[in-house]
Amino acid sequence: MENRILEEKEVKDLLSRYGIRVPKGIVVKNLPDKIDIDFPVVLKVSDPGILHKSDVGGVILNIKDFDELNEKFSIMKKKFPESKFLIESMEKPGIEVIVGVIKDKTFGESIMFGLGGIFTELYRDVSFRLIPIDEYDAREMINEIKARKIFDGFRNIKVDKESVIDLLLKVSRLVMDMGGKVDQLDLNPVIVRDDGSVVVDAKMVVIP
Amino acid sequence: MFDHLLNPRSIAIIGASSDEKKIGNVVVKNLIYFNYSGRIYPVNPKSEKIYGLKTYPSIEDINDEIDLAIITLSAPLVPDAVEACVKKNVKYVIVIAGGFSETGEKGAELEREILQKINGTNTRIIGPNTVGIYVPRSNVSTALTLPERTALPGDGKIAFISQSGALGLLTMDTISEYGTGISAFINLGNRIDLSENELLKYFENDEKTGSIVLYIENFKDGREFYKVAKETILKKPIVVLKSGRTSEGAKAASLHTGALSSNDAITDGVLRQAGIIRAYSETELMDYGKVLAYQRPLFGDRIAIITTAGGLGVITADYLVSENNGVGMKLANLSEETKKKIKENIVPFGSAENPIDLTADGSTEQYSRVLEILNYDQNVDGIIVYALFQTAKVDETLIDVLEKYMKGKPMVVGILGSKIGKRMILEAERRGIPAFPSMERTVKAIKVLYMRGKYLKGRNKYGK
Repeated sequence: MENRILEEKEVKDLLSRYGIRVPKGIVVKNLPDKIDIDFPVVLKVSDPGILHKSDVGGVILNIKDFDELNEKFSIMKKKFPESKFLIESMEKPGIEVIVGVIKDKTFGESIMFGLGGIFTELYRDVSFRLIPIDEYDAREMINEIKARKIFDGFRNIKVDKESVIDLLLKVSRLVMDMGGKVDQLDLNPVIVRDDGSVVVDAKMVVIP
Repeated sequence: MFDHLLNPRSIAIIGASSDEKKIGNVVVKNLIYFNYSGRIYPVNPKSEKIYGLKTYPSIEDINDEIDLAIITLSAPLVPDAVEACVKKNVKYVIVIAGGFSETGEKGAELEREILQKINGTNTRIIGPNTVGIYVPRSNVSTALTLPERTALPGDGKIAFISQSGALGLLTMDTISEYGTGISAFINLGNRIDLSENELLKYFENDEKTGSIVLYIENFKDGREFYKVAKETILKKPIVVLKSGRTSEGAKAASLHTGALSSNDAITDGVLRQAGIIRAYSETELMDYGKVLAYQRPLFGDRIAIITTAGGLGVITADYLVSENNGVGMKLANLSEETKKKIKENIVPFGSAENPIDLTADGSTEQYSRVLEILNYDQNVDGIIVYALFQTAKVDETLIDVLEKYMKGKPMVVGILGSKIGKRMILEAERRGIPAFPSMERTVKAIKVLYMRGKYLKGRNKYGK
């Protein structure tokens, strides 16, 4: 059997069960009359066949009210007539980081941490550890990246470093609990503010 | 576990030869040359005596237990020879010949054949495609070195495991120049049986070994290596030189994490997670192994520098503190009392500030006093001493002073120069004082002590 790509909401529900913060959201086929989510919201196509949503114009950010949502929803619906959609509250900005999991052929399940955005990829400023990790490992993962100063109050930017450590530990536990079924996991971006870390986008590939 | 490999009571050489061009000749000759004190049994059906030693037509004809057999035959003849060793219940077999999996499928088939022969038996294989072992404590060398061209190190504290034979031999040749010794050298070769993981476990409890250094091209079992190393590290420091840093080799992955992960980035994380120090050259590999074997870990990063040459002090301070082209540690902020006391002991134009400069007027006595004062300063975690013997007031008894302070705060010594300098490094080596012939190597060595201390402390505080 082939590896399965989970839907974003499935992944986020799973994360929630581990006490990892995700934005409030609902999955719909058609837009309901009203939604129980505070504006602004984000509208995303939710289709396991579409792994990279932004590349195909499947993400609309910062929708301010219901009228705008209505309008944007019909645009999306036309573009992806067969797909479902995820409506989520739009997170306040912060520092963006990436937390990922990969199965390395030499060492097995490994967890990655890095600063989000294009510079991470440009500089490959990331750190790895084998799963399971403990608190020391999580701390060192953050200390190891070149941009580490941003977590220690650089230019008065306030971020909750402890919430990142907590997130890394919880991801490690989740992967352990899934007993070798996680092939790849991307939490990218995770927004880190002074009030904690929230996983804004999540992708997971599982081995059946 | 590997006592009979590293300290064999008897060695059989299968393929021993009186023809000086043959490997089977050099191995016997080297055992004699290195004064191996155990029993040597050359096996060769055709000749009667080799270098005065009685030869045996087959290993089964030897009326003795064989701890170690060295097979010097060519690859196609090896499986039968291994079978004979198994029958004889030989404990360890070193297969020197190449021509196995490194050459293709035919060779790989030979390896599988050998593995089948030892499967379920007590016989273990080192290699094939290996120079074997060199163990100074038992005068065993299976390496095909020419004594007139190659030096091998004396007995010491560094256990050296290498996947490459030539790199191992050249590195040992190099460290011999400054008298650094090893506790054992093992070349894994194609590693069909004996691997680095078992050897780590062995050296963890080997009393002669103070640190373990490895040159690795690829891990036999990455997970297992990580587990074993993480355990071993609590008792013995481990240094790894891992090649293949630039080959990506990451599997095709659809997600972002996959694109960012190279084998080496993960390897780097694993090494850190296990508390292993990573070296990037053979010089670093052996320097780090040496300093970790000779000196205790450093639990803080505030360093005091003593020198009689001002230039060395400032360059070292730069190198110590800088994050770029440096090691990112701290220059200790000496207490007022320390500075006052130092001032009383050195010439007025010297520097009582860190880096402490005794100037060319500095004497052995001043080194001694300053070392004592620094050892009482709470603001100092570790000390770099430049023991510069080139000036008149410094005499050779400075080595005695340094030896005395090996009991004090962790200290690394820099001794520069080619004449008395080199001679005094050799003397420092004899006394187990970690001394290095350049500023760069001295500073990197103290950093490594700190890395080990930091890991042990962190693991203790936050780890499970």
